[in-house]
Amino acid sequence: MDAVAELTAEHGYEATKIADIVREAGVARKTLYDNFSGKEEVFLAAFDSAFDEAMRRIEVSCAGLGAEAWEDRVRAGLAAFLGYVAEEPVLARMCMIEALSATPAATRRYEEAMQRFVELTGENAPHFDELPKTIEETLVGGVAWIVYQQIRRREAERAADLLPELTDFMLAPFKGAEAAGRAGA
Amino acid sequence: MERLPRGRHGLPREYVDQNQRERLLAALAACLHDHGYDGTTVTMVGKRAGVSKSDFYRQFESKDRCFLAAYDEGVASLRARVATACRDAGGWAPGVVDGLRALLAALTAEPAQAEMVLVEGLRAGKGVYDRYQAALLGFVPLLREGAPAPAGGKRPPEATDEAVVGGIASLLSRRVLAGETERLGEFLPEIAEFALTPYLGAVEARRVISQR
Repeated sequence: MDAVAELTAEHGYEATKIADIVREAGVARKTLYDNFSGKEEVFLAAFDSAFDEAMRRIEVSCAGLGAEAWEDRVRAGLAAFLGYVAEEPVLARMCMIEALSATPAATRRYEEAMQRFVELTGENAPHFDELPKTIEETLVGGVAWIVYQQIRRREAERAADLLPELTDFMLAPFKGAEAAGRAGA
Repeated sequence: MERLPRGRHGLPREYVDQNQRERLLAALAACLHDHGYDGTTVTMVGKRAGVSKSDFYRQFESKDRCFLAAYDEGVASLRARVATACRDAGGWAPGVVDGLRALLAALTAEPAQAEMVLVEGLRAGKGVYDRYQAALLGFVPLLREGAPAPAGGKRPPEATDEAVVGGIASLLSRRVLAGETERLGEFLPEIAEFALTPYLGAVEARRVISQR
């Protein structure tokens, strides 16, 4: 899985062949085919593994923060996500760039991952009736776009630099709604 | 789009060329929708456009070049419609709402083109990422120019507007991918509120939107 991540991040999914993967991984073709049905399955397994780890880190970062501490939860979750991108730029590239053009199944994985981030945001951020129903989608989409550009510029290692502006971006609608509520608007 | 009359029609060369070009660009977007990028061939595009293969190659060096031209025209057309709506609205906030309404209407009217611009933009290795990024960045000034500072505060940083534009684009592309292109107009109030709230606050944003 590491090999497929490295190779697809570097050369793209299309150009990466089974022969390249087994050579990079130092395993026999038979070993790959004993475990996976082909290139796509290796790629999807690598994607799933990276996504699961991202979710795990986010959940760990929020553990112990009470529901009222929603600003801290959002900030901690973002920090965990950006920290993971910075630590694993190859995986970030594979998941956020290559997955979108690999295969239809990979695009679906990406879409499902986005949906889970949307739900996670909904669980950790406060609910205000006045906010648009799509607020979590537009916030997650906005964060994804900023991070995508950073990875594309090959500056994924510095993703943590984005924390202050992305925290402000994610918190602003909720803080606004909270303030409006306090003012009795 | 009208096809040319069969046989010798005596129409001026430039008219023929322009007509064929437009039909090819439209045919490309339609083929992308039906067959995906890899599944689309020059033969298919030509057939769909009613243009011979040799005439295709008179207009475009390759499928890729035809795609890039279609992409550029798609973005330019959207941008022009949004900019016109913004300008004609007679005010910054109404301009943002009208601009977004024009964007959604344009995407709904040309679903194959919407899919091409929004969905192909992030796919690696086809030369469109720079165009997609430029298109999104191009919408930021439409949002910022003439915008007021929120009461008692500073204007949001440009990074926020980039994220707002990116978030709206993400929402729209995910809905297009989900096959909901005809319903994009329903999202106008929510995305307009998302765009205006950093500047006006939610209450004022909603008031402006309800009046347009």
